[in-house]
Amino acid sequence: MSTNPMHQFNVYRIGPEISLGRVDISFTNASLFMIISALTIISVLFVGTRRKAIVPTKIQLLTELSYTLVSKMISDTAGSKAKPYFPFIFSLFIFVLFCNMLGMLPYSFTVTSHIIVTFTLAAVIFIGVTIIGFVNHGTGYLKLFIPSGVPLFLLPLIVIIEIISYLSRPVSLSVRLFANMMAGHTMLKVFGGFVVSLGILGGLLPLSFTVALTGLEILIAFLQAYVFAILTCIYLNDALNLKH
Amino acid sequence: MKKFSELSNRLEIAKKKANKNSFTNNKKSSSALGTALKLGTEMVAAVFVGSIIGFILDNWFDSKPWLTVIFFFVGAVAGISNVVRSAKLMQENNDQEKLRK
Repeated sequence: MSTNPMHQFNVYRIGPEISLGRVDISFTNASLFMIISALTIISVLFVGTRRKAIVPTKIQLLTELSYTLVSKMISDTAGSKAKPYFPFIFSLFIFVLFCNMLGMLPYSFTVTSHIIVTFTLAAVIFIGVTIIGFVNHGTGYLKLFIPSGVPLFLLPLIVIIEIISYLSRPVSLSVRLFANMMAGHTMLKVFGGFVVSLGILGGLLPLSFTVALTGLEILIAFLQAYVFAILTCIYLNDALNLKH
Repeated sequence: MKKFSELSNRLEIAKKKANKNSFTNNKKSSSALGTALKLGTEMVAAVFVGSIIGFILDNWFDSKPWLTVIFFFVGAVAGISNVVRSAKLMQENNDQEKLRK
């Protein structure tokens, strides 16, 4: 095991090298952990919804709670029009949550600590929301860039600012998740390294830090999945209920 | 008939208690932390996107480095307006929650 705190983020190939044209699409440890989390999600939800008991088991309670959490989040932030998008937001939330949580297990790999993964998710949301907006409002969706009550001579500047702030959405969405996960895991590893290098007596302090940080990381893992989903709802709200 | 109304009364009270005790409290504090974490990246992302746009336009018009500089500041403005906007949204949500109580 390497003592380099960034070593845990290495992506390496598992199995043979596969390439599609010039693109390398080999199976890596990142793909492995995405598949593991998808399978975990499917099995948890399958077991949770199999026996619909009135007095729920723990796992049934978990699935029902996550359902109500997401459905309440959608109705609170995006209104009733967003109901058809529930499956997408639910899968997004659960996928990010499980990727974050599985990353908390020792020796596992955190998929969401790579900007390419989070940016792909965010880009899909961004493009999807933009398409939904144009489908629902036609060219009227462009009014999003023109706030009401702006004097005419300021309009060109304001429109540029609005466009930049619209384009910054996927960046902020993806960077937030990626930076939180990567910073947290690096910090855990650094303090873990201190424990090893300081020995039994001196290592007690960093060890207690590591324990506290692990708790914090689990909180952040949940929180970032929640924020990711709630921001998707907010963007969806802009696209569905254009107000000006 | 009387029994039913009594029952519905008791159910109502029990529901209120359940709402108060269980996870609303917990959830509220965690989502507050979430929105706090949100603000920082909002600002940085807009500056980043602004600078990238400026850089691309510079390459187009061959006007290095002026458009990058200008769009850096425009991006900063957009970032500040982003932060103010989401702070306003938070304020609105907060007010609504207070009204509901």
